[in-house]
Amino acid sequence: MPEDLRPDEAARALTEIRQRQEQVIKLANIPAWYWWAIAGLMVGFSAAIDSHRPLAIAIGTSLFVIGVLTATARVVIGGMRRTQLRNDLLGPIGVLAILGFVATVLAVSLPTAFALQAAGVRYPATLGVLVGAILMVLSGPWLTRFLQRIMLAKRAGSQR
Amino acid sequence: MIEPRFDELIHAPTRLSIVSLLAATEWADFKFIRDSVGLSDSALSKQLTTLEDAGYVEIRKSFIGKRPRTSARLNSVGRVAFERHVAALQEIVARAGASVRPQ
Repeated sequence: MPEDLRPDEAARALTEIRQRQEQVIKLANIPAWYWWAIAGLMVGFSAAIDSHRPLAIAIGTSLFVIGVLTATARVVIGGMRRTQLRNDLLGPIGVLAILGFVATVLAVSLPTAFALQAAGVRYPATLGVLVGAILMVLSGPWLTRFLQRIMLAKRAGSQR
Repeated sequence: MIEPRFDELIHAPTRLSIVSLLAATEWADFKFIRDSVGLSDSALSKQLTTLEDAGYVEIRKSFIGKRPRTSARLNSVGRVAFERHVAALQEIVARAGASVRPQ
């Protein structure tokens, strides 16, 4: 241990370490347009299903699959051109948060759609998915911030 | 429990920035490190070579299409050295008590 390193110098070095790691972690950002795009694709797909027309279902399904893959690839590959975050930064809580997010959107969409169908409302799947899509757009940015908080908490030098 | 060990090589300001950045990643693109830390190509090459010679960093050169691409990653030896260095810094700050805290 160097005797000549002052505590304030050590503190400054720790601050630099934290800021550099924060700089990288902040790049793991899911842009707002992604949530809107996925939500729009989900509603479009449901509307195609509700139409009960084979051609509309075929086109809707194709657009949904291509759209989701394209949007996801753009977000993932866009970030991976520069760097790839450490895999263990997210941890089990992060994985559970993502799974919980998906489960919540489904838990809102499906019962709403079935309830609307039982009530005889037209386009029940579209309306049910619309509710889930709105939830996704509103809570997607929150999920991003939560995941970043988890990663910031797990970076080096964060445990004191 | 990580054994604190101050590392002179890592502690140099520019290298501390580079290693801190790499410690949060699996790997990072050369240009990304250069722009993040604010170094010239030659200055970053020199620092990465120093870290590579110390056995802390691996430098990979590949091609994306026809474009060459250089990336760097902190290997397991580098990660342990960095964690120990961070622990050593924390120990110095802790010994000084609450009067000095990282921001």
